[in-house]
Amino acid sequence: MTDILAILRDYGLLLLVGQFPNGPMGGLAITIALSIGGIALAFPLGVVLALGRISRFAVLAWPATVVVYVARGVPLIMFIFWMYYFLPVATGRPVSGLTTMLVTLVVYQAAYIAEIVRAGIEGLPRGQMEASRSLGMSYLQTMRKVILPQALYNMVPTLLSQFISTIKETSLGYVIGVNELTFAANQINTTLLTKPFQVFAILAAIYFALCFSLTLMARQLERRISARRAGLGSQSGAATTPRPQIITE
Amino acid sequence: MTHAPSAPTLITFEGVNKWYGNYHALADITASVTKGEVVVICGPSGSGKSTLIRTVNRLEEIQKGSIRFDGKDIHSRSMDINKFRSHIGFVFQSFNLFPHLTVLDNITLAPLNVLRRDRHAARERGMELLDRVGLASKAEAYPGQLSGGQQQRVAIARALAMDPPAMLFDEPTSALDPEMVGEVLQVMKSLARDGMSMMCVTHEMNFAREVADSVWFMDEGRIVETGTPEAFFGNPSTPRAQKFLADLSSH
Repeated sequence: MTDILAILRDYGLLLLVGQFPNGPMGGLAITIALSIGGIALAFPLGVVLALGRISRFAVLAWPATVVVYVARGVPLIMFIFWMYYFLPVATGRPVSGLTTMLVTLVVYQAAYIAEIVRAGIEGLPRGQMEASRSLGMSYLQTMRKVILPQALYNMVPTLLSQFISTIKETSLGYVIGVNELTFAANQINTTLLTKPFQVFAILAAIYFALCFSLTLMARQLERRISARRAGLGSQSGAATTPRPQIITE
Repeated sequence: MTHAPSAPTLITFEGVNKWYGNYHALADITASVTKGEVVVICGPSGSGKSTLIRTVNRLEEIQKGSIRFDGKDIHSRSMDINKFRSHIGFVFQSFNLFPHLTVLDNITLAPLNVLRRDRHAARERGMELLDRVGLASKAEAYPGQLSGGQQQRVAIARALAMDPPAMLFDEPTSALDPEMVGEVLQVMKSLARDGMSMMCVTHEMNFAREVADSVWFMDEGRIVETGTPEAFFGNPSTPRAQKFLADLSSH
């Protein structure tokens, strides 16, 4: 325990922000930045992919389906390697590990978010689409004003658990030298050499504290949403439908 | 009734056929609705009543025949479907209010987005319509806070907000508790009195007797019998209609 406190005293700042302000930002700050940036960019892409997936036009449905299936069908680490070699070739210039990781996360997460959003859209009663179209609203107007606001609201807890997955996935950035939390911990471990258990216990504790508090938040949100739905959306007996399980792996 | 027999035709079905796979849902429907007419469609469940009414605003496609609204073939490819639908009010059995919007926002959504009305005018008109259905005090409530009867009245106001020349009702009272049926029928009656063209699928035979100009009786995808309510209820000419009415009155 004293070892852990000593490590935190000597290297706590490195874990939090890397060499900043004397060097590049790193550690937990980069982990969080990657997670937030990844999910924030993946979200609009995921919505677009979801709309493509449910489109009745094959030119939209096919590419979206292929992207979703491929991204969901390969391990993330393989995807990272692939992007690592592909991006510099595609763009014709060197690409940093951080950018590579961000792009990878965005595409990978978008595929998962697309399926979440698709389930949210398809889970709404058909009458919502019919009622809106009967009023003369176009398909896209209906999506924007009627379907997506309801679907996304219902999906907030699931999206939050997707965010939690993203946080854990950023640790794989280590393999292409992204200066994030796991990378910082490993740096400390190679400096100290004799305290791997302590160093990696600290690492695990930080990830756990972050993810677990978010899981609690997702639970809380979920409860709020089902309570709200019971009060507002009584027409389909939504109050009695079982709550979706939060899965955070 | 304000309906005059010489009024011009508004909706015409000509040899309309629809299949679900092998199932013949609509068979050779030929009929018409004149301006200001109130048509009640009745018949046993599965007879194609709802399917028929849903073809009028193209919630269902047809495979053969034509449907004209105000002279225009509505199932033609060149039809601007969104513009066309904005001219027909549709009221569903299950209300289908938008649960994430307040009552007033439910009503103003289409006027704002489809008709591009100015916000102030749309809200003012929305309040007028809510007042008409007796729910002005619920403007800021959410649909989930209303009873079924109130929700259906809001749904009618939402359809009316587009100033449609015709309204379609697909079993508007079937999902309601008995004590709420009256308030919805009241609103529909007042619409009929004001000369609205209406097609109603309903099991409310008193409503048909009181308000309808004509009754269409459907069975197995066909219109088996049409007539004035007096003729249909007093002296049904087909055995199937006779049986249907006998079954109804035995309940």
